[in-house]
Amino acid sequence: MTMRPAYPRALGWRHLAVLVMAALLLAASAARMDLGRLAQQMVTAVLAPTGLAAGSPETRALGGMIAQLAPIQLSDRRDVTSIADFDPDRLPPFAYLETTTETRLELDPDTLVHAQVARRTTWLVQPFGYAWQVAGEMLETIEIALWGTIVAIILSLPLALLGARPLMPQPIVRNAARSICAALRAFPELLSALFLVAAFGFGPGAGILALGIHAAGYLGRTFADAIEDADQRPLQAVQATGANGLVAFRMAVLPQVKAPFVSATFYILDRNVRTATVVGLVGAGGIGQELKGRIDLFEYGHVGTILIAILITVLLLDRIAIRLRHRGHADA
Amino acid sequence: MQIEAADLSLNHPDGTPALRDIGLRIASGQFCAVLGMSGAGKTSLLHLLGGLRTPSAGMVRLDGRELCDATLADLRPRIGQVHQAFALVRQSGSAANIIAGAAGQIPCWRALTGLYPAWARQRAVDLHVAMGLDAAALTRPVSTLSGGQQQRVAIARAMMGRPDLLLADEPVASLDRETARTVLDFLKTQQRETGMTVVCALHQPDFARAYADQIIVLDSGRVTFAGAAAAYRPAAGQGAAA
Repeated sequence: MTMRPAYPRALGWRHLAVLVMAALLLAASAARMDLGRLAQQMVTAVLAPTGLAAGSPETRALGGMIAQLAPIQLSDRRDVTSIADFDPDRLPPFAYLETTTETRLELDPDTLVHAQVARRTTWLVQPFGYAWQVAGEMLETIEIALWGTIVAIILSLPLALLGARPLMPQPIVRNAARSICAALRAFPELLSALFLVAAFGFGPGAGILALGIHAAGYLGRTFADAIEDADQRPLQAVQATGANGLVAFRMAVLPQVKAPFVSATFYILDRNVRTATVVGLVGAGGIGQELKGRIDLFEYGHVGTILIAILITVLLLDRIAIRLRHRGHADA
Repeated sequence: MQIEAADLSLNHPDGTPALRDIGLRIASGQFCAVLGMSGAGKTSLLHLLGGLRTPSAGMVRLDGRELCDATLADLRPRIGQVHQAFALVRQSGSAANIIAGAAGQIPCWRALTGLYPAWARQRAVDLHVAMGLDAAALTRPVSTLSGGQQQRVAIARAMMGRPDLLLADEPVASLDRETARTVLDFLKTQQRETGMTVVCALHQPDFARAYADQIIVLDSGRVTFAGAAAAYRPAAGQGAAA
């Protein structure tokens, strides 16, 4: 007579040992990171506005910086003498001229005596000039992100095909493709942008390459994983008709992985838009370059406008990505 | 296509034997049913005949040519296979699944771009209709079809390449008896009209006797009966009259 088997246990002593070990390691790491002080500061920051705790220097500093962002800067005001070929009869739409008189103490070169001098300056005022400029730079940022994503797709597809077990039986080639993917995403975009700006100069080109190279590593691995997770039986069935590997992939695997491919690509596009603003800080084009300049000049009203533009763009792209992703799932 | 197998054996990856010393000969244009309980070795035998697995010992000859790596590329487009678990692309419609059965015969650039030749598109639709599937199923993901409908799509895909040999692993397992008869009638008609050889694993002895010219019975990886369908007498209680 055979023994009646028992229901398998969900947790064994090994699981428990791993959990205890992980908890000890996390506790040691938290002490090294001084997480206790961070938690205390966070609690103070949350409770200070309610009056339950006294404000700390950190919360006051953060509050002060945020307060300086308002009012945001929408208009643009330029001295007409700094505008090349300025024609007062042909002003841009909604623009108008403003004249100011400023009295300054200046040294007379003839008499070498300081005297009060009235200087008249004519300004070209565009009520939404700065908002328009930010919109243009935001568009350039989106273009950098878009081209970075296209570069990533082009680089990642061959790596994914070579790195997926069902399509590449040779472990050496597969491991090499996987290692290249890992190497590509090893360095953050900001770091590679620093080197690429040095090599290719300031501008969007360096940004596109920095985003494309990093994202290719992520997409290559994600695409390869999706191919490996797909049902392999249709692939074997199509290969059994005598089709070559590429045709079998197109007919049996691509329809299965289309939805995860689209999903990962939209995630990268969304991520690239946010990262494109960061790589601009080191001169790789886009809104980041403008943001860095305004921070350096302490023009926090301009910084506020840029931050709002980034927020609106990311939220809009997020909505578009969700819609397209749903459509992709519906079509798959 | 004529099939010959001699001393054919296959071991599972763990070393246990799936098939032992199988010898068989199926004449060209015959309808051969392979009967046996679950685990008897029917699927393993079909995999060996279709070149999906390599035998541990023995050999298979198709039209006098030994099935091996050197001949597989030539022979594969001549073999149609209905897989037990359908092996369909669940996200694609019936049309895309059926046309994939001719993947080896469609020019590479057309297969990659999806611009299939007119003959292939026409034949895919003809087979879809012949299988009694409605027009909407052409593009609807096959995951939304019933098990029986999916099985018919799998059969249509196997027929797509006008095979000389059809290997069907329980092609009517998910179908009610009436639909099963329709499908087997279709296979029988195709076999008679085109002269293709059909090797069909079945669970129902009554269907085997009604449709097959030849029956092979497997038990624990060995052939226990091989002969004309008329000579086969199922054990008491096995199968109903077709």
